[in-house]
Amino acid sequence: MPEYKAPLRDMQFVLHDVFKAEALWQGMPATEEVNRELADAILEESAKINEGLIAPLSQSGHEEGVHWNEGVVTTPKGYPEAFRQLAEGGWGGLSGAPEYGGQTMPKMLVLLFEEMLYSSNIAMGLYLTLTSGAALAIDSHASDELKQKYLPNMYSGKWTGAMCLTESHAGTDLGMIRTKAVPNANGSYDISGTKIFITGGDHDLTENVIHLVLAKLPDAPAGSKGISLFLVPKVKVNDDGSLGEANGVHCGSIEHKMGINASATCVMNFDNAEGYLVGEINRGLQGMFTMMNYERLSVGIQGLSAAQTAYQWSCEYARERLQSRAPTGPVNKDAAADPIIVHPDVRRMLLTQKALVEAGRAFAVYVGKQLDVSKFGDGEAKARAAGMVELLTPVAKAFLTDKGFEGTVLGQQVYGGHGYIREWGMEQLVRDVRIAQIYEGTNGIQAMDLMGRKVAANRAQNMQALLGEIRDFAQSADSVAGMEEFLTPLRDAVDNLESLTEYVLGEAASDANAIGAAANDYLHVVGFTLYMYMWAMMCRAVLSGDSQQGEAFATAKLQTARYFVQRLLPQTAALSQSIRSGSASLMDVAEDAFV
Amino acid sequence: MPQYKAPLRDINFVLKNVLNCNEHFASLAGREQVGEDLVDAIIAEGAKFAENVLSPLNQVGDQEGCVWSEEGVKTPTGFKEAYEQFAEGGWPSMTADPKFGGQGLPNSLGLVVSEMTSSACWSWGMYTGLSQSAARLLENYAAEDLQQTYLPKMTDGTWGGTMCLTEPHCGSDLGILRTKAESAADGSYKVTGTKIFISGGEHDMMENIIHLVLARIEGAPEGTKGISLFLVPKFLPDADGNVGERNGVSCGSIEHKMGIKASATCVMNFDGATGFLVGEENRGLNAMFHMMNSARLGTALQGLSAGEASFQGALAYATERLQMRSLTGPKNPDGPADPLIVHPDVRRMLLTQKALAEGSRAFIYWVSQLIDVSYFSGDEQARKDAENLSELLTPIAKAFVTETGLESANYGMQVFGGHGYISEWGMEQIVRDLRISTLYEGTTGIQALDLLGRKVMGSGGKQLMVFTKIIHDFCKANEGKEEMAPFISKLAELNKEWGDVTMKIGEKAMENPDEVGAASVDYLMYSGYISLAYMWARMVAVALEGDRDDEFLKAKLQTANFYFQRLLPRTESHKLSMLNGAESLMAMPAEAFAF
Ligand SMILES: Cc1cc2nc3c(=O)[nH]c(=O)nc-3n(C[C@H](O)[C@H](O)[C@H](O)COP(=O)(O)OP(=O)(O)OC[C@H]3O[C@@H](n4cnc5c(N)ncnc54)[C@H](O)[C@@H]3O)c2cc1C
Ligand SMILES: Cc1cc2nc3c(=O)[nH]c(=O)nc-3n(C[C@H](O)[C@H](O)[C@H](O)COP(=O)(O)OP(=O)(O)OC[C@H]3O[C@@H](n4cnc5c(N)ncnc54)[C@H](O)[C@@H]3O)c2cc1C
Repeated sequence: MPEYKAPLRDMQFVLHDVFKAEALWQGMPATEEVNRELADAILEESAKINEGLIAPLSQSGHEEGVHWNEGVVTTPKGYPEAFRQLAEGGWGGLSGAPEYGGQTMPKMLVLLFEEMLYSSNIAMGLYLTLTSGAALAIDSHASDELKQKYLPNMYSGKWTGAMCLTESHAGTDLGMIRTKAVPNANGSYDISGTKIFITGGDHDLTENVIHLVLAKLPDAPAGSKGISLFLVPKVKVNDDGSLGEANGVHCGSIEHKMGINASATCVMNFDNAEGYLVGEINRGLQGMFTMMNYERLSVGIQGLSAAQTAYQWSCEYARERLQSRAPTGPVNKDAAADPIIVHPDVRRMLLTQKALVEAGRAFAVYVGKQLDVSKFGDGEAKARAAGMVELLTPVAKAFLTDKGFEGTVLGQQVYGGHGYIREWGMEQLVRDVRIAQIYEGTNGIQAMDLMGRKVAANRAQNMQALLGEIRDFAQSADSVAGMEEFLTPLRDAVDNLESLTEYVLGEAASDANAIGAAANDYLHVVGFTLYMYMWAMMCRAVLSGDSQQGEAFATAKLQTARYFVQRLLPQTAALSQSIRSGSASLMDVAEDAFV
Repeated sequence: MPQYKAPLRDINFVLKNVLNCNEHFASLAGREQVGEDLVDAIIAEGAKFAENVLSPLNQVGDQEGCVWSEEGVKTPTGFKEAYEQFAEGGWPSMTADPKFGGQGLPNSLGLVVSEMTSSACWSWGMYTGLSQSAARLLENYAAEDLQQTYLPKMTDGTWGGTMCLTEPHCGSDLGILRTKAESAADGSYKVTGTKIFISGGEHDMMENIIHLVLARIEGAPEGTKGISLFLVPKFLPDADGNVGERNGVSCGSIEHKMGIKASATCVMNFDGATGFLVGEENRGLNAMFHMMNSARLGTALQGLSAGEASFQGALAYATERLQMRSLTGPKNPDGPADPLIVHPDVRRMLLTQKALAEGSRAFIYWVSQLIDVSYFSGDEQARKDAENLSELLTPIAKAFVTETGLESANYGMQVFGGHGYISEWGMEQIVRDLRISTLYEGTTGIQALDLLGRKVMGSGGKQLMVFTKIIHDFCKANEGKEEMAPFISKLAELNKEWGDVTMKIGEKAMENPDEVGAASVDYLMYSGYISLAYMWARMVAVALEGDRDDEFLKAKLQTANFYFQRLLPRTESHKLSMLNGAESLMAMPAEAFAF
């Protein structure tokens, strides 16, 4: 298995040359201390620990897996040690609140750390990022007392966090959950019920696990309006912060899965466990949702990360593997065959990965920027960014993971038969990344969220704002020499998206199924349009002389952009036609007629 | 874990109504007369065996895998016993030559049984599939004495066979293979070298294994023109034709893989092993490739089989799993939620699976009939035409059906939500198993080069025109039928476009040889969608002649409609992409792919 090398140059290009992060940070009081130098230092340190410590545990973790024995969960060799080092390095508190020991780093930057972490080892990464996610929810909604008691140890990685939503009969449809919360006299609650698929629900990395659990009060309204959120520690915490007695929280078993074998996916039993309300009664889902924008982007990044690793490795392989001669004549005359990178079709696979990964990275940073402005900015900019976050989050989650899976499979394909063999590591990447299309809301649910809640529900207001922004960009970039070949397809893509949006909203007026029928294809059209936007922004950075990465890098950017325009963007043609066929071909088939 | 049920109604519909198998069988000379009763009995018995004996082994096989030791390779529990039943039932001899004890039934009928066995347990099916391929090759190319010695036992299934092509440094590029053959005084050869990735190279299911090995005779020309084919048995037969002395062939190790874990993938060491020349010296690849048409169609069939199995699992789950309400109001008001199948996006996934499986079934069965004709028609011209056409269609079937099969299996898994990722449900295994099929028997990239480079361009477009003419005639014959009109007009349009696109690429390729490779995979997928459109139109024509109240036929029409509306538009994207040419693929220097 090859080694992982963090793509630092491209990260710096995106952060500094394309999005001018420093200027943005310095314009917001909460982040004004973050400058380019600091950002680069963090990226470099991050590269070091991920390349040197986390990546090497990936394959052994895949082979060894997690073990369950009488309620005790053991992670693979080296995991507790490595997690401790991550924690001690402060990587768990990067974006945490300063009052509790966090570092308030902007998401734009933190997400590049996450990219490296997941590129190195998704399974290991989850223990840390879920902790940050849980901490974020606590920080946004819990009482000061709870924050004081739990956040410092979570940011410092002394304890981890877990999110307990899913039950065996309720995944997408959380309104049906059965876990109960009965109020105690002392203000706490007795939590009872069974949660499944809980990532990091139990393990041997840390001495405590802080669960955020969705449950219902006895008299709660039915459905999603009757769900409350509770903090339930595995081990109770005394008032002085020391660990007290065990709580009624037990891991009943762990799942055997397709991938992320080193991540414990737990059945969690709550037996009258002591829990504390977070936020208001019956507003538990809302509590989850703020955090979910971050979590969904983070899961999207898992797609990007796996594809980045797959690209790197398949690229190396393609330069070394000798097989057949180039169609235009031998280029490696002294050897028996040419490296496979000479073959147009191998280049197709590599460039597809590259074009998707680099646009994906830019897009992730772009969404990170919106998250930062919506959190740290003010006034109209803040409101606007919040609207963008809502609109873009489902795209980031689903498109990055769908394209991440596609890229990873292509990376595997470049290896030929060797891609199927475990020791080469490619099959693990495919298996690990496959989960990202499923959890944190399936990609089908993201598509419904985008088309239904984020576009249709507000008559495409946020969408129009996005399209307006892109058109403004195109106009402002018009004067940069050489941009036309990228701006024309960008404008066409925007027009097409606008007319598709009108089409679907029009259909939806008389057909309740219209949105569901279009949703997946629509999300993909939005994704391609945004990637076109990212490519145009990157090309502008290059063509206007903003890139500081050198000639060869700049040329490769333009070439990759061209590849995207000519060979990938046409996929929107099929998607658009498919959307325009409406819902009848899906809905007319009687249920029994499927067999 | 989904229990497989053979889709008998669809199999019968395709065989009898669409492809008129009775007429077809009657046109074959030198094969036994096949009555309808016999066809029915074979299908029914095959279905029983697949459902009752093989389906239960599928998950066991994945979990146990094969185990290597010095003594040999042990297959998972139950594999050997199932094979004994299979052999006792006379299945291995079904399509074999009667001269050696075979039943002489047409391959297109044998294929139906293979579909069922592969759907039920892919890995198991490989042992028998490869053995039969090896036997067919020997029937066609080996000298009489070799046939007499080996074929009777291969026909009754006592002995099996393998195909040994790949070496560590060569898979696609067999011209550089190194395995040597030295001629011995008695007319046999001493074969020496290492082969890798040999499926069924060693196992405990059969008494002897007959390897068909590609090797280079001392002094032979370099490249593909110096490769010969040898029969190398694991045990040399004694004077009575029973297993005798052990030959110098051994299995050095087996691979740990992403899937098909119950299929032993072996490193095979040949140390001066006694081998016998099959066919002419230096013409080994011709014999292999001829056989490969059937073997490739067999791999296409695996793509279909697994796609079908995944569809069955997903459909059953979608009708049982309750989650969320239908957009048009509750469909299951007494339950806590509606079954998944009410949701448009779930239907999109299921119908994609269904349309691909049924379309692919019709396509593969048809190509298989063409191969029958190419071997056994009494009419020489018909034999030639069928051979030409089947050679054109085989790479399409191999790559298109496996690529779309993978898409389908991923949908099947996605329909299960988080449960799809968990091993016990069996859906992720289907994805892992299926993943091999775009890699072995020539990768998708290699199939695409074969199609566009060798078959289409190589024949100056003539081989393609045979097919476009058939489609053209079909469209003409159905002109003016009102209900056929939407299908026929689209098919006719695409059929014409196919010719135009081919011309354009041909012109470009004259200027730049890279254009073929740059267009090839898009071209193949494009061709695949049109080929399936043709099959769907044929099925529509038949369905329209049937009973209008028949739910099965109604569903056929609706699925055809879905295919034309939502999947066929993909031709447009592939067309645009390939017509944009090679430039954007070839411009980037190899060093600039990653910095
Ligand atoms: C490895 C792993 C780790 C996980 N980690 C966690 C965790 O830490 N915490 C946690 O709480 N959960 C976790 N989950 C659960 C995960 O979030 C759920 O599996 C996911 O939300 C989907 O729910 P489900 O599995 O019940 O699928 P279902 O909701 O049953 O969905 C099945 C299918 O139906 C579709 N569907 C459902 N409703 C609709 C609709 N209305 N319209 C259109 N399509 C619809 C879905 O898209 C999906 O394709 C994890 C799961 C796995 C496998
Ligand atoms: C589980 C398994 C079972 C197998 N069973 C058998 C068996 O029974 N017998 C046997 O002999 N082999 C078997 N194989 C080997 C299999 O057929 C080869 O792996 C396959 O042919 C590809 O060869 P390769 O792995 O050397 O890939 P390579 O040839 O190295 O190809 C690597 C990549 O380069 C591309 N490429 C190569 N040349 C070109 C070109 N000229 N133009 C464009 N692209 C190109 C390929 O498409 C691929 O993406 C098996 C393999 C596996 C994994």
